Formats: sequence, structure tokens, C-alpha cells
Amino acid sequence: MKYAYFPGCVARGNCPELNSATLAIAPLLGLELVELAEAPCCGAGVINSQNPVLADTYNAKTFALAEEQGLNVMTVCSTCIGSLRKSNKRLQGQSAYLEQVNQHLRPSGREYHGNVDVTHLLYVLINDVGLDSLRSMVKRPLQGLRCAPFYGCFILRPSEVMGLDDPEHPTSLERVIEALGGKPIDYWHKTRCCGFPITLENEAASFKMAGAAIGEAKDLGAECMVTPCPLCHMNLDMQQPRIPRHTGRTYNMPVIHLPQLVGLALGLDPKQLGLHKHIMDTSAVVSRVVAH
Amino acid sequence: MADIRFQVHRFNPETDEKPYYQEYQFTPLEGSTVLDCLNYIKWHLDDTLAYRMSCRSAICGSCAMRVNGHAKLVCQTQVKNVVRPDGTVRIDPVGNMPVLKDLIADMHGFWTKMQAVKPYLMPTQPPPSANQEYLQLPEAFRLFEEEATCIMCGACVSDCTSLESDKQFLGPAALAKAYRFSADTRDGRRHERLEELIERGGMWDCVRCNECVQTCPKTVAPMEAILKLRQMALKERLTDSIGARHVTVFTDIVGRRGILDERELPVRSLGFNPVKLLGMAPVALQSVLKGKIRPLEPPHKVKGVEDVQRIHREMEDGS
Amino acid sequence: MPTHDVVIVGSGLAGMRAALEVCQGASVAIVSKVHPVRSHSGAAQGGIAAALGNMPPERTAKIQARIENGAVLPDEELNEDSILLHWFDICKGGDYLVDQDAAQMTAENAPTLIYQYERWGAAFSRLPNGKIAQRPFGGHQAPRACYAADRTGHALLHCLWEQVMKRSDQVTVYSEWIVLDLIIRDNICRGLVVWDLNTGRLETVHTKAVIFATGGYGRAFSITTNAFANTGDGIAIAYRNGVPLMDMEFVQFHPTGLYRLGILLSEGARGEGAYLINGEGERFMHRYAPTLLEKGPRDIVARAEMMEIMEGRGGGPKKDYIYLDLRHLPAELVRTRLPQISDLVTKFVGIDWSKELIPIQPAAHYSMGGIPTTLQGEVILDAQETLVKGLYAAGECSCVSVHGANRLGVNSLLEATVTGWAAGRAALAHSQQAELAPLPADATASAEAEVKGILENEGTESVADLRKTLQEAMTEKCGVFRDADHLKQCLETVKDLQHRFHNVHIRDKGQVFNTALQEAIELGHMLDFAETIVEGALARQESRGAHARLEYFDLKTAAGVRDDENWLKHTLAYRDGDGVRLDYKPVRIFKFKPIARKY
Ligand SMILES: Cc1cc2nc3c(=O)[nH]c(=O)nc-3n(C[C@H](O)[C@H](O)[C@H](O)COP(=O)(O)OP(=O)(O)OC[C@H]3O[C@@H](n4cnc5c(N)ncnc54)[C@H](O)[C@@H]3O)c2cc1C
Ligand code: FES
Repeated sequence: MKYAYFPGCVARGNCPELNSATLAIAPLLGLELVELAEAPCCGAGVINSQNPVLADTYNAKTFALAEEQGLNVMTVCSTCIGSLRKSNKRLQGQSAYLEQVNQHLRPSGREYHGNVDVTHLLYVLINDVGLDSLRSMVKRPLQGLRCAPFYGCFILRPSEVMGLDDPEHPTSLERVIEALGGKPIDYWHKTRCCGFPITLENEAASFKMAGAAIGEAKDLGAECMVTPCPLCHMNLDMQQPRIPRHTGRTYNMPVIHLPQLVGLALGLDPKQLGLHKHIMDTSAVVSRVVAH
Repeated sequence: MADIRFQVHRFNPETDEKPYYQEYQFTPLEGSTVLDCLNYIKWHLDDTLAYRMSCRSAICGSCAMRVNGHAKLVCQTQVKNVVRPDGTVRIDPVGNMPVLKDLIADMHGFWTKMQAVKPYLMPTQPPPSANQEYLQLPEAFRLFEEEATCIMCGACVSDCTSLESDKQFLGPAALAKAYRFSADTRDGRRHERLEELIERGGMWDCVRCNECVQTCPKTVAPMEAILKLRQMALKERLTDSIGARHVTVFTDIVGRRGILDERELPVRSLGFNPVKLLGMAPVALQSVLKGKIRPLEPPHKVKGVEDVQRIHREMEDGS
Repeated sequence: MPTHDVVIVGSGLAGMRAALEVCQGASVAIVSKVHPVRSHSGAAQGGIAAALGNMPPERTAKIQARIENGAVLPDEELNEDSILLHWFDICKGGDYLVDQDAAQMTAENAPTLIYQYERWGAAFSRLPNGKIAQRPFGGHQAPRACYAADRTGHALLHCLWEQVMKRSDQVTVYSEWIVLDLIIRDNICRGLVVWDLNTGRLETVHTKAVIFATGGYGRAFSITTNAFANTGDGIAIAYRNGVPLMDMEFVQFHPTGLYRLGILLSEGARGEGAYLINGEGERFMHRYAPTLLEKGPRDIVARAEMMEIMEGRGGGPKKDYIYLDLRHLPAELVRTRLPQISDLVTKFVGIDWSKELIPIQPAAHYSMGGIPTTLQGEVILDAQETLVKGLYAAGECSCVSVHGANRLGVNSLLEATVTGWAAGRAALAHSQQAELAPLPADATASAEAEVKGILENEGTESVADLRKTLQEAMTEKCGVFRDADHLKQCLETVKDLQHRFHNVHIRDKGQVFNTALQEAIELGHMLDFAETIVEGALARQESRGAHARLEYFDLKTAAGVRDDENWLKHTLAYRDGDGVRLDYKPVRIFKFKPIARKY
């Protein structure tokens, strides 16, 4: 199991704990990660709003970097996987377009031939590691910790681009949570949007979205939320103190990155996983699992 | 096919205080659609059930409902594909609209918003001659061909996340329609349209969750249309909004550094907006204390950033 | 009480096109039982005819070689299109039961009205030179079907709705209001009685002119391409009010409706090389159209399918269907040229066309007959063309008669457009000089009685059962082939059902969206006009166009026997007590002499 690792801007920026947790669990899973240090931002669907060809070109560069090493790309971000796969689909779909984009890669001696696939840690856990062997690696079962999975839009939709899970009734996160000894909570908002993309332009709407998801998870008894997306994490965790202003409700809901949850169950030190770096206190979750 | 239990949303404003689910159980014929099943209920089990339908061939847009929580045209949904492991299918009216009865939603709001985007051609030039059509090349037609397939069923509006928390948002259907006319070479009012659409509730309030792309039973992909509206607006230099600045600043930062540095984005996107910035201060401070945001670190950059800068430069010139 | 100069019932192409004329000079309302964009016009796929002559002849010939859409024409005739050619094609296609002035008006106004759609923004497919794209269609001797991919009706319906939204201050739309009755006294139409489905209230609408644009009646048959809303309401209401119905026996059957469902599979499939196969696995079209085979015209193919079924060679346990076979077609061809077919089959019947045969059968598709009108859409009462003042009809519910005994593909969107436009203009002119005629005291009496009669009925008959019996009788005994015995049986069934309808019971007694009551009312309509279809068919002792009587049909040559001497005339069916009285009206023939209809 060897992947070209695309951490994405947020894991390299505001959520460094996501990056360190990923790097910490990789060896335990037998996962070799080769970081794409030169890979630019995936565009996050934002650059698309201005210049879609530019976003595709950045991503073609990323694919070319992976392709040179004969590797597929693994991300740890729902937004990254969505943007990358969308670009990839466009690039693989039309040779004329691929050529147009390649013209901007050639000056630095690169070219993309369309042979790279893009996946996410979540699907690597399921398809490469395998749930059975993941289960066997667990040192510190999650003790039935009630986890509310929160997918993040792009990892599911549109299924035409993603196609790795059922877009309406996904089960991947649930199956991983179960394999780790946790108890997934089923709730409507798990596939909805966290609101992050519009925090700046429409704070109220953005925080209402986040609040709706956190609130429902809480109502159904979740002890924490688990997300494969650091952008969701920013709205659900970092911004959580600002949400009550718009929803009239406080939540105190810890939000855990997927690799952190895996790391906890595999017996890693919570500090190493950066669980102390969150805005919302994670100690209840940690003590619930570690105390045993 | 085995017995299926249909959990159907019921609400009669004349007699019910609040909605409830009623269960109907039977074995549908092989090949039945969800609409066939509703008709079976209405015609054989309970004629009081109310829902809309007409063409039963996915073109009239009457029959959008939520099946197991997601909007679909029930006339083109095979029931065998939506039975849940426990043998049930749940049917609700579309979301984001008031319910009038059972599975019938009130679409007035939908039409009001549709109306608000001036959903009709506004040419400013006459056609080439009195007895002729406007000429439009096939490439030009293709710019809005998919968006023109909208059947106004409301499925996208039903599942739109932005609308759920912001009633003012025009919503995917109306914005896709706005794009359809903005992109039509026969229309003469693109700039005026875009000027209105950059306002609050317009193109910049879409959260890009892709729900509408997923749920659209036709080939409209409303969110993609909204992104195209944004591209048009930026091309026409309609950049005076937080949304527009967010995009241009984002693109600029990535163009210089290869990756996004979130420390820079909010400050520049919000423009001179001390209130908003102050509102963000406590969280920012906390993030600094937790080591999430590191103000003193030099600006983030990818390795070999010059190559990214080159690409950005080349493509900014509009190639 | 809503009061408008002109009220239009129906918001398909005919209704909205009329509204856009009327609103130029009078206050106008549209009353429609479904929201305008839900109207059945939106389901039309193939195109709308107009002799624009946009297709360059070389290209025409190339396309023709593919014999797309079952069109089969001698190459030498494939030349520049003209109004005259279109006019001729309509008359011939209608087996000469066409009023030739109506056909002329239709062909002549087609180009201007198509350009008007285009100026309003209709999303037509385009030719490389930027003009509206056109393609060949069965029975048209030039490629004159203007189209928007395979969703022409949708493109036009939405275009009109956009224009109505643009004029929302001039056009009032009452959506999900169901018309129950006309208020006609002393031969003057004064208004309507309408049932608001939203609230259950009966409303009287006061007006100087009413235009009926209520669409077709395919739902009287068990197998139909038509929407659930196509229950012929306007036709039944006019009939109940003393207006005769014209040429009701002419019902077009489409050869490729999905089995049981009737959902239309476009003619493109056969055009692209799909086979028709009987229950014994045999391609059978060689017996009926030795050269054209599957690509023969609609009525011939529909009859061939029925002949196979009648002779016991149908497919399935009941031997009551035929198969469409696409299995030999390359996947790529199906994907690019017939995308919606594979989509429909997978989604609606859950079948994989590449491995399985698709069960199909002829499906009631279009109603040639309807409310008789003048060229201006004025409703007439008899062969002398006595008018009902202030009452107009347009679109599929009307019969002007442009299609005669059989309508050609892509001519009915055109007819809805032309007649809507003409009726709109006429109603506008009328409303500008007429006064509002006073309403009688008992205006709503009969509608009230109808609603009450159903709501308070504690009988034992179910709407669904009665409707099913009617639909099956109509399809089986008054379908593609008819004969006196079966027609008489059918008539008995209809009579019996009318009787049983007095004993109908619904459980829903509510006011808001009582769709059970709606279905009961619609059934009542169908039971009334169905009788005129059967009586007309029984009386007409010949085969002409879509009307095929086995007694006047040579099964060996698969050719009908037309009797111009006795039957080149329109049927007028009047309600008479409990039954139907038939009268006839001459056909206006002044340009093209009737010749044998051969392709
Ligand atoms: C599947 C299919 C494909 C077709 N394809 C083609 C094609 O390619 N080309 C072509 O030319 N023709 C085609 N046709 C035929 C054509 O679509 C119709 O003849 C035409 O659209 C009829 O238009 P209309 O305006 O008369 O009626 P419709 O569009 O049927 O509208 C009827 C209106 O009347 C209203 N109404 C009915 N009853 C009442 C009532 N009681 N109270 C209030 N309102 C009422 C309805 O709400 C509706 O708005 C096709 C037909 C079918 C079924
Ligand atoms: S019934 Fe018309 S879209 Fe489903």
C-alpha cells in the first residue's frame, strides 16, 4: 500500500493535527505515504468560480507528480478528493482538453497522461487495509463511543464523479467506526453541508447549517462527531463557539478527524494525534476510550 | 418481489394538528415505480391519500417527493431500488416548502423566486430580418442546452442546504434559470441580470454542497450553473462583494504561494469590515492559543512555488 | 367573483398561446387543473412542423437515407420545402377528412409562429449555420420538424410559460382549479363554474369569452401515451352543454407504447434499426410492409402488431404484446442516438435492453376529434356552423378539422399553436365589443349537484374499478381494430358503467386537495364522451385513417377500404337524452382531390 499523499492546504495550515495524525497512523496500517510537496492547492471548488481551467491545470500538475512515481493519490479531505476527482474526470474525458492543459505543464518538463486515480483515507481504510484487518489492529476499542459521522459534501456528491459510496445513504464512515469499536449514530444531517464555504459571505446561514448538524447529532446522543474533512472541521469545531449566536443553543460537541479516531483505537497517544489542539474540548472522548 | 411497508407522510390541514406517518403494506408488481405504488394505495387501499402526478414519464415535474429523505421523481424511481434493508420505503413531500396536504407541497415560494430572476429572454437586438429567426450557432446553443432541460419539479430546491438555513436564497432552480438566459446569445441584458444576482440571496450564497447536482432528475446540474454565473460576474468585473473577493483573493493567494494561507483570506475577503473582523477575533485568538493558527510563521508556500506562479501567470492572461 | 374579459381553460401550448394574444388588449385569466408547466404539451418529443426550408437539400437526402423516424419518401420529392407541400401532406395524411382551409391556415401560419417562439427564447436545436434545426418525420415530404433535441414540447411549453411570467400583471393564472361547467344561456357563453382543488370551493367565473384548451382524452383507454390529466374534461363539458363532438371515432394509436404503461418510445428506435418481434420470436413486419418493414408508418405498424396479437402470436402469458428488440444494436449507437429510450426502459420497467426484449403494444396517443370550431376557434353547434357566442376551443380538445382521420407526427404541437393563436385573437376581438352577459341564478346548480352527488354517495362502486373497466373495454373493443360486434359490446359496457357511476363511492370527504373527488369527476367525463367515440365508430362503415373496421379491411393486404362516396363527411355526435344522436357535416375540399393514401 503506497500512495502519493496530498494533505491539502488545511492539513498544512489551520488543522496541522490532521496531518500529524495521518502520518502517525500510516505506519501502523502498513500504509506508505509519499508526500507531494510540490502539489498546489486543489482549488477547493473556489478557483473554479473564477477560472475552471486554472484549477484543472493545478490538479493536472498534482496528477503528473503522482504519475511520475507510478502512484495514485490519497487525500485526507472531502473537499480535496471532490475537486481532484472532478478535474481528473474532465481531464480523462477529453484528450483535446488534456492537451490544452498539458501545454501549461510542459514548460517545467511535466505532462499528465490520465492514469492516476484519487482516493481518500476513508476508502483506503475500507478497500486497501480492509475492515477485518483494521478490526484486528485495534488495541484500544472505542467502547461503544457514540460517534456521529459527518461526511462532507464532496466526498459523496456528485456520485457521477465520486461513486465510492451511496451518495444518499452512505455507510463507509459507519463501518469504520464500528470496526474500531464505536457506535455510529444515524442522522439526517450526516450527508448535509457544514456551511463552511460561505462563512465569510453569509455567516448566519453558514453557522445555522453547522448548528443544525451538531444539534441533531447531539439530540440523538452523539458523544462526538467524526469527519473526514478538515473544512467541515473548521466550521464544526473551530467556529463552534460562534454558532450559538445564530441558533440560540450551545453544543459542547467534540469533533474528531477520522485519522484521530483511528489512532485512538490503534492505541496512539492522544497528544501525538493532536486531540488537545481542538477548540472544542475532546478530553471526555479521550478519557472515555483511554480510561479502559 | 416481497411485501414492502410504505411509510407515507400524512397531513390533512382540515383534521390533523401535525403530520404523521401512515403505513401501507403490500407486494408491488415486478417493475413497479414508486408512483405505481402510490397509485396502488390510492386506488385500492386508501383514496384519501393526496399527491401530485401527471405525465408519469419524468417530464411534467409534478411528482417530486422525498423517498427515504431525498428528493426524486417518483414516476421514474423503481421501487426495488429504494427498499431499505428492513423492507420499508419512506415517502415525504419535498423539503424547503410548506406542506398543503399529505405529499403535496406549496410551490408558491418556488415560483416567486423563479419570477424574481426574470426568467425570460430579453433581447436588445432585432433578429436579422422580419421573417427569420435569430441565428445561434450550435456551440452557442450548447452553452445553455442542459440548463434548459429544467422541468421545475423543485427537487433541487427541496434538498438545497443553503435554503434550509437562509430563506432569502434564490435557490438552485431560479439561479440555473438565470444562468440559462445570461448564457443565451440572444439575450441583451446579461450585465443587468448579473448585477442583480450578485446581491444578497444570489449567486454567492450557494454553499456548493452539490445536493442539487445529485438530486436533479434531469441534466441541469444547478450548482454548476451557479459557478458559471460567478465566472461571468467576475469576467464582467462585478467584484464588489465578499463572495467575489473571496474567490479572487483565494485564487491570488494560491497563485502566489501554491497553497492557501487561511490567515490572509478572511482579512482580504471581508474588505474593510471591522465589525466582522472583530467578531472573528475571539475564535482566532483561541486558535492561536491552541496552536492551530500560527501568526508568526512565515507565509505558507509549496515547494517549487515558482512553477505554480508561472502557471497562474500564463492562465490569468485568459488562455 | 373572479371576472375577466376572457378566460382560458387549459395551459398547454394552445391555452398559453391564446393568452399571449388576448393579453394584448383585454384582461385575461388562465384556469388550469395542473400548473401550466405540468401540462401535457411538455411531453411531446419529436418536433413541431413548419415549412421553413432550413435544411440544405444535400443534407436532407443524407439524413433521409437513414429513414429516421419511420419516414419513407421517394428521394426525388425531397427538395425545398414549401407551404403548399406542407398543406398537401396534412390533407393526404388525414386521409382527406381534412377541412382544407384549416390545413391551409395551419401550414401558412406555421413559419411566423415558429419564429415567434424563437424570438421569445425557445431553446431550439440549431444547424451549423445557426438556423433552427429541422428533421424528417413520418408522412412529411420534407424535413420540416423543428426540434429541441427529443424534448420539443418541453422547450415550447416552458417558453410560453416564461412569457406568461413576464406578463404576470396582465395574465392571471388560477392553478389547480378544475372547470366543472360552462354557463351558457340563450346561446351566449357567460362564464364558468370552477372547483378550486386547493380549497374545495366552487367558484363562478364571469367573463365575456371562454376558450377551451383542455387537451386530449387518451386516458379513456387502458394503454395510452397520455398523462393522467388527459381525461377530456373540456370535451365532456361542452358535450353536456349541447355542443356536438366532431369525428370522435378517430383516435390515433402509436405502435410503440411500453407494455401496460403506454409510455411512449419514440419512433427513432425503429428508425435506427430496432426490430419488432412476435411471441414466437419472429420478425413479422414482412407480412404487412414487405419493403419498409419496421420503418412503416404509424398506423400500419400499429395494425400489424394488433394482427399478430389477434392471431395468437403475441408475447407473454396473455399473448397480448409484441417485443421491440434492440439487442443487436451497438451500445454506442443506442447511447448517442437513443439516449432517452434506454433511460426510460431501465427506469420505468427495470429492463436491460442489451439483453432483454422490450414488451410494447399500441397505445392511444392522440385524439383527432373534439369540439368543432371555425377557423377562428369559434365553437359551432351544427353543420350550418351556428355559433355559441363567446365560446372558443383550441388545441387537441378542438376539431377544426386539420388532422382529419389521422394526424401526422409533429403537426399537433403546430395545431395547438395555430389554433391557440387564432382563438386568442378572435376572443380578444369579441371581448372588445361584447358586454358581460348577466349570470343566471342557477349558474352553479349542476356543478354543485355533481360534486354533492359524488361526495354524499354511499354506493358500492369504486372509481378505480369503473375506470379500469372502461379503459379496458375501449382498448380492447374500440382500439386499433374495430368491428360491429365488439363495438356493440363496448357500447353496452359504457352504458352499464354510466349507470353504475350513479352508485360511486369515495372515502375522502375533505375539501383540500380531494384528488379522489377529482378522479371521480374525471371518470364521469370519460364515461360521457366515450360513448360518442363508440357510436361514431359503429356508425362509420369504412376504414379511414386511424379508424380501421375489420369488416372493411383486407387482412391479406393489410389495407383498409375507404368509402368516399358515403363517408367522406365529419361525424357530429350530440347528447340526446341518455344516448347519442349522430349527424354529419361536409368536408371542405377545394384544393387537393382525394386520392388513395399510399406511401
Ligand atoms: C407522449 C407524447 C408525445 C407527443 N409528441 C408530439 C410531437 O413530437 N409533436 C407534436 O406535434 N405533437 C406531439 N404530441 C401531441 C401533442 O403533444 C398534443 O396534441 C398537444 O400538446 C396538445 O396541446 P394542448 O394545449 O391542446 O393540450 P395540453 O397540453 O394537453 O393541455 C391541456 C390543458 O388543459 C388543462 N385542463 C384539462 N382539463 C381541465 C379542467 N377540467 N379544468 C381546468 N383545466 C383543465 C390542463 O391542466 C392542461 O393545462 C405528443 C403527445 C404525446 C402524448
Ligand atoms: S409524473 Fe410527471 S414528472 Fe413524474
